[in-house]
Amino acid sequence: MRNKKLKMFLSAVMVSAMTLGMLTGCSGDGGAKEAEKDDSGATVIKFGIHVANPAEQEAVTNNIVEAFNKANEGKYKVEFEAADTETHSKNMKLKAEDGSLPQIFWIEGSEASEYSEAGVLMDLTDFLTENADIKEALGGMEAAFKDDNGQFGLPYQCNVQGIFYNKEIFDNAKVEYPTDDTTYEEFVEMIKKLKDSGVTPLSIGSKNSAFAMWEFNEFLARYGWEGNIDNIISGKDKFNNKELLACFEKLEGLKDAAAFPENMATIEYFDAKQLFNEGKAAMFGTGQWDCAEFDKNIGDKIGFWWGPKFTDTQSSQEIVMKVPSAPIGVSAAVADDEKLKEGVYEFLKFYYGEDAAKLSYEGSIFPATSYEGIAASDSQYSMNTMIEALGNGWASPQAAPDLTVSSAVQESLYDAIFGVLQGTYKPAEALDKIDAALANSQ
Amino acid sequence: MHWLSKKKYKIGLMIPTLLVYSVFIMLPIVIAVRYSFTKYSGIGQARFTGLKNYVRLFQDKIFWISLKNTMVMFVLAFVLLLTLSFLIALLLNKRLKAVDFSKALIFSPAIIAPIIVGIIWVYILDPNIGIINNILDAIGAEGLKAKWIGGDKLSPYSIAVIYFWQQLGYLVTIFIAGLKMIPGDVLEAVKIDGASAVQEVRYVIIPMMRTTISTVAVLIITGVFKIFEIVQQTTGGGPNHLSETLVTYSYSMTFSSSDYGYGMSLATVTFLLSLLITAVYTVLTKEREGESYGK
Repeated sequence: MRNKKLKMFLSAVMVSAMTLGMLTGCSGDGGAKEAEKDDSGATVIKFGIHVANPAEQEAVTNNIVEAFNKANEGKYKVEFEAADTETHSKNMKLKAEDGSLPQIFWIEGSEASEYSEAGVLMDLTDFLTENADIKEALGGMEAAFKDDNGQFGLPYQCNVQGIFYNKEIFDNAKVEYPTDDTTYEEFVEMIKKLKDSGVTPLSIGSKNSAFAMWEFNEFLARYGWEGNIDNIISGKDKFNNKELLACFEKLEGLKDAAAFPENMATIEYFDAKQLFNEGKAAMFGTGQWDCAEFDKNIGDKIGFWWGPKFTDTQSSQEIVMKVPSAPIGVSAAVADDEKLKEGVYEFLKFYYGEDAAKLSYEGSIFPATSYEGIAASDSQYSMNTMIEALGNGWASPQAAPDLTVSSAVQESLYDAIFGVLQGTYKPAEALDKIDAALANSQ
Repeated sequence: MHWLSKKKYKIGLMIPTLLVYSVFIMLPIVIAVRYSFTKYSGIGQARFTGLKNYVRLFQDKIFWISLKNTMVMFVLAFVLLLTLSFLIALLLNKRLKAVDFSKALIFSPAIIAPIIVGIIWVYILDPNIGIINNILDAIGAEGLKAKWIGGDKLSPYSIAVIYFWQQLGYLVTIFIAGLKMIPGDVLEAVKIDGASAVQEVRYVIIPMMRTTISTVAVLIITGVFKIFEIVQQTTGGGPNHLSETLVTYSYSMTFSSSDYGYGMSLATVTFLLSLLITAVYTVLTKEREGESYGK
């Protein structure tokens, strides 16, 4: 009898333990937490970043964080919460839901305003007011991340986007280098000659890489995107308008000129870049984040170009793409903990300070800030060619076109562009799809 | 152990499993269905929109493309896998030379992670760097070269072949286990009665393996509706969603477009569809079983 009761008791204990274990496993962190400290007593600041290995994939940010930690030993310590972009994006949404966001985190550009509307981001207006020198150094870059809720984010970096080209391949094909005045028609002729010389004219991959359309942001901008996007979003105009139709017809023209790799549908951004690095492709659209790689593989044969000028539009053609990258935001919960807030502000001061700007340039990344006397070294060929291109003094839009729309519309824009480039969609059909995505998102 | 056989204790011991099943299987399904009636970007509050997502779904060309691709894969995988894995199991159940080596060889793809399977097959099927097109080039058969993946037609068929390659060994193993369960004296009696090999299979082995066949069929059905990594790795659903399956399209809408509500309506339809096909198959096989017993 006693034995039976003991077994019953043990069963009940096991059931309860498993149930409790499961329930506790499911529970979130709940409300606000005390600031975490490390072994040395330093306040730990979590930084959610969109790469799995910051030391390898975001070396500049990693260097800045290490420099900050060294300078603030025993006081503050920034620790990464690292995951690849897609996982990071999912994680941040889940954490926003259960109130466990890291103190600072990288936000997908098209999702930033949604975070702001949800009230999970801290207003950084005070930070900029207290640090007028940083506000000045940002030079208006922060404006892209401001809404009715305040300054909901600050640019992670400054993105300079365009087309890199390999001068050696151009020389071999006896094709002149593109200039600020090269027109679309000349660009198409250039592509044909490069194709005839046996190389891929413009390397690009669409598999899981629809975001890799940076060179076409310039196309969109030069067909009046910035001036009309508010009208389109408010319903006064459509994506399928005369200007964007002309723009998409130019994309189709590139496809017809066989500008892209034949297997662009089965290669990714990294494969496409590999083609350029190996000298199998003449041009590659990207931004300054690839500079260090090009310095290593292409060296002083690298050139940089903003893209062609278009003659069938009234929109300004004197546009370059020096825009704020996706923002970093600060969790709203930070505002409730003075000590933590102080630490976060210290880190932001460092991140947007002169020392961090120097570290950025050393790693061939344009920081969001501009400080006098900080420049790239002579052996940073790719960055120097970008700086040279920026010397024309042309204006930049406030934000890259693809970052001015919601995630659903952005995804549809990418799909539309690659649809035309691959011949799946006709230009008007592609634009109709973006209009449909906008209608569905509202 | 007598106390264990009492109903209330059985129920007590089932509670942890039931809880796990409810929390990790049933609850997510209920939540997904709930979100399918909302507009939700993953951040902030979900907004109830009634049947809007389902109306959109039936008007969405890509949904129909995804459904068509899934069904192509399902039919191909079901027919090829069910028949060939059964036939190979019959063969490997014989005392042949190198049978153990053959079993290991056939089973080996099943132990490779699907994402690696995808990478391997990219090097076989890619229109530019793939082995097939390069061999066709080398032997002067350029006319036979095709966009096995990444084009607008062949991707679902290629993905079905990859899935077949990956699953074959696993299903063969299940069939072999089923064959081993058939009593040796029954098969011996069949032989003594003078039945041919085909008659042995038709009238003895298949009826005695009905449960195993049903299990394999359900595994194929549910497996096809879960094909994800192979698509992501070979085509990423592209070009322009033309090679999406229902699952990859649902994932794309949910996580790439942050359209959680619509993504969940796709997931709900996928769930109902796989449930329906499994139910139809189960009912049909039950009826046939009934007929057999009736005879």
